[in-house]
Amino acid sequence: MPVKRKASGNVAGAAKSGRTSTVSTPGPATPKDIDSDEESDDVVDDTQPGEEQIQNAIDRFSLAHYQDKQVRGPMDNASRFFGHGRRDFSYLPLKPDYQTRPIWVDPQRGRIILENFSALAEQAKDFLITIAEPLSRPTYLHEYSLTTHSLYAAISVGLQAQDIINTLERFSKTPLPESIRMFIQNSTQAYGKVKLVIKNTKYYVESNDPEVLQKLLKDPVIGPLRVQGTDTIKLTAPTMVGLVIPGTSNAAGVQQAALRQPDKQQGGASAEDAKPEQAYQALGVDDDDDNGEDVHAFEIPDTAVEKVQKRCLDIQFPILEEYDFRNDDRNANLEIDLRPATQIRSYQEKSLSKMFGNGRAKSGIIVLPCGAGKTLVGITAACTIKKGAVVLCTSTMSAHQWRQEFLKWSNIRPEDIAVFTADNKSRFPGNTGIIVTTYPMVTQSGKRAHDSQKMMDFLTQREWGLMLLDEVHVVPANIFRKVSSQIKSHSKLGLTATLLREDDKIQDLNFLIGPKLYEANWMELSEQGHIAKVQCAEVWCPMTTEFYDEYLRASDRGMKANLYIMNPRKIQACQFLIDYHEKRGDKIIVFSDNVYALKEVALALGKAYICGSTGNSERMRILDNFMYNPAVKTIFLSKIGDTSLDLPEATCLIQISSHYGSRRQEAQRLGRILRAKRRSDEGFNAFFYSLVSKDTQEMYYSTKRQAFLVDQGYSFKVITQLAGMEQMEGLAFATAQLRRELLQKVIVDTESSRGHDDGDPTDDLFYSTKGRKKGVRRTAGMLEGLSGGQDMAYIEQRKSANKNLKKKPKESNAFFKKIAREKERLKSQQQ
Amino acid sequence: MVRAVRGVLVECDPAIKSIIVNINSENNEYIIEDLDDSHLVVQENKVQQLKHLLDQRLKDTIMEPERDSDSDRDVKD
Repeated sequence: MPVKRKASGNVAGAAKSGRTSTVSTPGPATPKDIDSDEESDDVVDDTQPGEEQIQNAIDRFSLAHYQDKQVRGPMDNASRFFGHGRRDFSYLPLKPDYQTRPIWVDPQRGRIILENFSALAEQAKDFLITIAEPLSRPTYLHEYSLTTHSLYAAISVGLQAQDIINTLERFSKTPLPESIRMFIQNSTQAYGKVKLVIKNTKYYVESNDPEVLQKLLKDPVIGPLRVQGTDTIKLTAPTMVGLVIPGTSNAAGVQQAALRQPDKQQGGASAEDAKPEQAYQALGVDDDDDNGEDVHAFEIPDTAVEKVQKRCLDIQFPILEEYDFRNDDRNANLEIDLRPATQIRSYQEKSLSKMFGNGRAKSGIIVLPCGAGKTLVGITAACTIKKGAVVLCTSTMSAHQWRQEFLKWSNIRPEDIAVFTADNKSRFPGNTGIIVTTYPMVTQSGKRAHDSQKMMDFLTQREWGLMLLDEVHVVPANIFRKVSSQIKSHSKLGLTATLLREDDKIQDLNFLIGPKLYEANWMELSEQGHIAKVQCAEVWCPMTTEFYDEYLRASDRGMKANLYIMNPRKIQACQFLIDYHEKRGDKIIVFSDNVYALKEVALALGKAYICGSTGNSERMRILDNFMYNPAVKTIFLSKIGDTSLDLPEATCLIQISSHYGSRRQEAQRLGRILRAKRRSDEGFNAFFYSLVSKDTQEMYYSTKRQAFLVDQGYSFKVITQLAGMEQMEGLAFATAQLRRELLQKVIVDTESSRGHDDGDPTDDLFYSTKGRKKGVRRTAGMLEGLSGGQDMAYIEQRKSANKNLKKKPKESNAFFKKIAREKERLKSQQQ
Repeated sequence: MVRAVRGVLVECDPAIKSIIVNINSENNEYIIEDLDDSHLVVQENKVQQLKHLLDQRLKDTIMEPERDSDSDRDVKD
């Protein structure tokens, strides 16, 4: 092919001219292209004061804008396999020692591929996690994505554009593509320039760069909002000197040496080693704030904060929120510290050091797997800030758990930490303390009970040092906006395991709370033994002929779903796995999203179940039995058990039905068995089975669901046949007759709409309970029959196992005790 | 009187068989004899047509997951 050969002849030339063309050719959508050279002040010069072209600004933040516009012909015969030649990057020259360098950067999409087996991988990972978002982290090759948000996060922990570029250059196998270089430079120069600082309850807009500040002041929206009569003031930037995050190894030393100086300003000598080893420090890159350079600020009124934030975002100077808590003497200090014996783990320390990177508290989100100690991170943050704190969590149950954890890990006085829920409205006696509450409590609209209204006023009229947001991924943006506008807090820390939603709302969190500060590597944590090692398996259950015929015939989605969920082979597989693991001594949770299937299967297999309609006392009884009664090894849970249910005993998880393609649910469910286990068998110590009906839509959903976990490095083993299942004794639905009966039942129940998944009201956090009518069932019968005249008696054939679980013997009245004693006496006399 | 019909023996999964039966149920033109869970005799001259219909049906019932998240998507050009 002569054409191709010709093109490959001048590779080097093309690359070179490509570079100049990026600079000189204006893009069609951007009338004013940036005169790009390496200096960072061009944006400010480039734009006219006053009305700015926002579109222009936004364009600057997409990587596509920096694309090399040069069209290179296909390099060789293989080119067409790489996106029709467009993504053949073989023109990038390799450095001579490329084999020792671990990363490769995609010039078009900002993807970074890391060789995890390289000797430099550890260092590179530490660095990449700071500047890019991890997409996929299996054993050998990791993929990261460089986005504006991730760069924003990097800037917020104190990195600078030039540092990022230099370090990338060092690790990269090829010279860093020009498009990436410019993308980083331009994205980062605006980010982090402007900070919103609360000092003595006054909001200040602060910047290191006086020019940026001038620009903001000239802005038609922001300018007038400035509090008149205040000049831009000069402040000295704080440093991390002397700030010690409690619980770290250095903290102990400092405490001994300094005998707990109240302001901790002393201890400058230990400042160098008080800094945790972070990637960029190890790389010899300095935190710019360490030089104590001057910063400039102007004041804005409280009411304008949101307006200013929004405007700044529009003109691409997103505001960082920081809280200088050590110099806040207006809010009372809270007497709280971690217990001396508490040691936080290395990754927890790392995540917190991102939050307190420059001695102030930054707002942001920390992502840790379930069971890896998110709570302790939150508590340590509260102990570092030592001001009043509000903790928001998803349910009353977890609110109480949070309080317990606070008491367990810190020395806070029990009366200083109060819980605000529907049935508990206490306050702390002093002038500061911690309040634990739930999202629904604070966002509830409409009229409230008198005392909870009073409590709300109490919450909204104060100023809080820290707002801890548990399971932050569940909070819809509008609810969150409400929370943050009502409760004034200096800094916000979001905690979650799965920062993903099937809708795109997760991006909102970046601006509502702050950037993602840290994301842990699941595989690494499980290697280190902080979370359990899990063997994941997908079990393929063939549909029985009758069920599949019916499945093909059905047109209704609900009916189809019920058919593949109630597939008898699946129920058999479930029974077999339960039996197998019960014999091994595992404790098993079976998850079913579909409440109808949950009840039916639990009844068929004779196990206890909990779903939304299960009463609170019954729930507690079943859970207690599951945890402490060796006879109860299996429970069935509906989606109410997906999140924040803490069952450390469980070691095996089987899911028989799930919420379509929800990756989050899959990950959250896996989280139920991730708490590090005491039992240390060789190899895997926890099991996760997903039962799927073959040849149905479920297979598709199942693949989608696994995407997140696969990206975290988990691998799913596919089991097509469970050996020995057919021979199992007492197998449910073993005969064709029974299967047909089940099919009839499923169809009838589905059609009478009883079988429809009638939702689980308590699952959804923000579910509005609409009154559901209980239908009346009408049956024909003789009056004498119903009154027992025809020798009929009521026997329940398949009793729910829930009822067999013993209730705790209640303390009965003395009178009844006496009667019981009398009865006993009469009985013994008769014998 | 004995009547002989030429047919093709089809051996397949129970699931595939179910789909064929389902296709046939529309106007009964393919299957001559339903033997057991995994065997059928179908009209010889209709085999190609049946294959085509089956392919279509499989595409409808079994959704192929789209390509691996967005990792292979190009940036907007």
